[in-house]
Amino acid sequence: MKILLISLYHPELVRGGAQQVCYELFRSLKRRPGIEPVLLAAIDPSFKALYKSGARITGFDGRPDEYLFLSRDYDYTWHKASCHALIESYAEFLQLVRPDVVHFHHFLLLGVDLITLTRRILPGARIVFTFHEFMAICDAHGHMLRPYDNSLCSHASPVRCYQCFPERQPEYFFLREQWFKRHLSAVDSFTVPSRFMIDRYASWELEKSKIHHVTNGQPDYSRGQATIERPHKRNRFGFFGQLVDNKGVWLLLRAVQLLRSDGFADFTVQINGDNLKFASDERRTEIEAFLAKESCIPVGERIVYFNGSYSVDQLATRMASVDWCIVPSIWWEIFGLVISEAWMFKRPIIASNAGGPAERISHEKDGLLFQVGDATSLAHAIRRACTEKGLWDRLHKGIKSPPTVDSMVNGYLPVYDVRRWPTAGAQAV
Amino acid sequence: MAQARRGVLAARARKLKSIVVAKRANAAAIHSAANASGNGDLPTEEMIFQREIERIEALVPQALFDEAAYLRLNPDVQRALELRQIESGYAHYLQHGHAEGRPVPSAPTESRNVMLPSSPRADVAPLRSSGAVDALVITPNAGLMIVGWIDDSAHPLNCIRIISAEWRLVLDGSQLMRVRRTDAEKALGSRTRHPFGFFGILHFERGGAISGSVTIELWQHGGLSTTLQCTPTPAEDVELRSTALAYLAGAEFFGNPAVECMGSLSQGVGTQLLALNQAMTRRIVANPYIEQFGRPRANPKATIVVCLYGKAEFLFLQNCLFAGLPGIDEYEFIYVCNSPELAETLMQEARSASLVYGMANKLVILSGNAGFGAANNAACRVANSNRVLIVNPDVFPKDPSWAARHLEVVESGPTDRTQIFGVPLYYDDGSLMHGGMHFEVDVGLSLSGGQPIPTRMCRVEHYGKGAPPETVRYTRSRPVPAITGAFMSLDRTWFEELGGFTEEFIFGHYEDADLCLKSIEKGVAPWLHDIRLWHLEGKGSTRQLPHEGGSLVNRWLFSQRWISAIENGLLGPEPTHPLLRLPPEAGISDKEPNRSSRRRRAATTATP
Repeated sequence: MKILLISLYHPELVRGGAQQVCYELFRSLKRRPGIEPVLLAAIDPSFKALYKSGARITGFDGRPDEYLFLSRDYDYTWHKASCHALIESYAEFLQLVRPDVVHFHHFLLLGVDLITLTRRILPGARIVFTFHEFMAICDAHGHMLRPYDNSLCSHASPVRCYQCFPERQPEYFFLREQWFKRHLSAVDSFTVPSRFMIDRYASWELEKSKIHHVTNGQPDYSRGQATIERPHKRNRFGFFGQLVDNKGVWLLLRAVQLLRSDGFADFTVQINGDNLKFASDERRTEIEAFLAKESCIPVGERIVYFNGSYSVDQLATRMASVDWCIVPSIWWEIFGLVISEAWMFKRPIIASNAGGPAERISHEKDGLLFQVGDATSLAHAIRRACTEKGLWDRLHKGIKSPPTVDSMVNGYLPVYDVRRWPTAGAQAV
Repeated sequence: MAQARRGVLAARARKLKSIVVAKRANAAAIHSAANASGNGDLPTEEMIFQREIERIEALVPQALFDEAAYLRLNPDVQRALELRQIESGYAHYLQHGHAEGRPVPSAPTESRNVMLPSSPRADVAPLRSSGAVDALVITPNAGLMIVGWIDDSAHPLNCIRIISAEWRLVLDGSQLMRVRRTDAEKALGSRTRHPFGFFGILHFERGGAISGSVTIELWQHGGLSTTLQCTPTPAEDVELRSTALAYLAGAEFFGNPAVECMGSLSQGVGTQLLALNQAMTRRIVANPYIEQFGRPRANPKATIVVCLYGKAEFLFLQNCLFAGLPGIDEYEFIYVCNSPELAETLMQEARSASLVYGMANKLVILSGNAGFGAANNAACRVANSNRVLIVNPDVFPKDPSWAARHLEVVESGPTDRTQIFGVPLYYDDGSLMHGGMHFEVDVGLSLSGGQPIPTRMCRVEHYGKGAPPETVRYTRSRPVPAITGAFMSLDRTWFEELGGFTEEFIFGHYEDADLCLKSIEKGVAPWLHDIRLWHLEGKGSTRQLPHEGGSLVNRWLFSQRWISAIENGLLGPEPTHPLLRLPPEAGISDKEPNRSSRRRRAATTATP
């Protein structure tokens, strides 16, 4: 049984949750007998050196079954493949690989119309699509976060979307919805990593019976060796992730400012992550100004420390210097891989009460939830975490093991309808 | 003329004797002429005088005589007129002035509004009035446009003579559109309601080569002429048309711009614009580039013709949303493009669409914007079926089975109800956008002549615009005065009998109503059948100021052509024209359906 996994970026070229999950799935499927996974990862022209002359699809660094889709002339308005040669190459690639299952993990850089093309080229193949955010529904990067006031959006409509993008017209959003739905109609099964997404897509009139919950899974980066120090206080907090607007690091810094203004400074915050360049000008300026000011404070008196980017190999070291992980996302955070990573190292989470974190974290049992987008609410949670005796221990004990890669793969196999291929079905499950 | 002649005869009786003396010098010649005509008797003095008067009348017809200027140049004549010693300045000129060699006003005497070879010498007169030529745009072998202003509140502009090294041209003042120019008012310190601005356009087939600057003479009644030098701006005909139409759309008037504009168009600007546009249209549609993408169906039952302008994305959006629907395989698609700059993109999109959607598209690429009517006609000429559907690029299926239902209506309905028919169209918000069209007539008052003059203008309205989606009175099958060009299903033979769309209209607007009226005129009413599609009205193309100008011209043309027919049984939402009477068997209750019947309705087919 051949499964083609189609990914936005290769995680070793661009970090990101969707591509990380897709790649873990690819690696894990390779270990399953009877299954032949093939990876096709789209990259953008910023990786100029990887664009071989005249090629549209190439291999990747000599790795078996890993290919790069060299995206070009991508239509970001309609999320469409605009280069005919690229479309032809993709069609030929399908004919050469002849997968039984084509599993899209995104359409960005590929084109949502390639789903329709896949159905035409491989009428008998099973097409699976995993939603990693709401990009089909929402033109605001799929965040369903209203740009003008940062409020969470409950549903899309032509007029509501026009309110977010006044330079466009309601009719554009009407057509956009029709366009996406038509292409998604070629999909046999959808999967989402969090259950709340099922209702969101069902209310967008996607057939609910076709949407399945399959959790994201990761290897245990702690290897069962989570270091738990026994300090006097549990007042060290960590942020792990991208420094982009919707991940909310700016909200965390505001909460720090509120606490400091209130005379409460007996805690530290370690910022781990990068991609500040992708933040909006306003947020980037705010974060840079805060960090610059913080760096002028004597080391022993600082609250916030900026540690920069990290790889999964460094996760154990970074986690060792914090007691809590904070997930201050201001959008419908879909799953929160960082929650899984924190749980691998048995760190309780303080997270926004929306989306995946709200679904995964049990308030007062294995973590704390605060009001999404509210710096005061976050400040209160931080203060409580620092001062409430026994809280950390109680929440620490409540932490469950995060989903493994195997649990993710086992979730996908029924979606792939693996039993249609008896040899693979018997061995793989 | 008759009045002047009566004045001449009356004066003659009083002053005959003195005049005769002055005429003796010519008597011999006149006598000879009389003999030559076979009259052997010597003519009387009265006869001699009458012949002399007739000779002068032939030389200077009263129509070309500038009365005011003659009086201004001859103050004694002015006084005589005030004392009622003479009947008019013209009468004086005939009786005395010609013989006395009195100064008379001059004006260009060449044929007007035609391109002429250059005269060896231009009559350059000194600058007399305040004025300027802001722009002279010339397209050799096509036309020119002139824009400027002049202080002619006392002596109205008579004509404009343009003299180049190789050609000359006299634009008659009556054909100029006069517009308000607040900048000129400010410069002159004028508070009068006078349109100092002028705008003229002229179409010609040959001539107009540009070689350096030209002399422009602004001739006013009263013999005043103002001479200016101007460097013409060369332009392609497309640019000339756009510039002229944009000027038309943005022109200011004393009074309602639409009304005043209609008046000016009637005086000549409209005819010239139409002539220019038609010449361009003929050129643009003469040699289209046609290419087939994807494997075409051998014998399609119907042809969907879509005219694209300014936006290429509607090709792939329509391909995506039409593909795979029940019955759509029986249709062929022809996209005709009025934006040649989109050609490459469209060809790539059509190629990709054949791969992604399995759609076969025929592209007809025109070399410019031929307008909605001419472009659709060009596309229909290469259709392979006898049923053509004119579909706007922003029309999409609402009812997924629309294509099958449409064929069902065509194949099962009575011929006279399917030769030309439309469908209910819906806005993206779900409300009705179109349930047929009817005609209205607006009456506006023009104040440019000093007193209110009514101007009648036709207007086209949609039945049910914005109405609830299930408003049966607008969605039911019935004859209607007109249907929108956004979706028209036409028997091709009938379409061709009607001459297709009228190609005089500029860009787009009114061709659909015009086609429907041509059909009614020939005895077949347009129908509406309940097959539902979306129409994102106005989103399928780009619209700029020249298009607004085109709409003004089209409304003028449409009104000129059809107002009589409209006022004769086709006026209003309930016209009385016999062809529009609902046949008894087609009568459906006006009552709106309840919820359960609405559900049932979704499963019913149209009832032609």
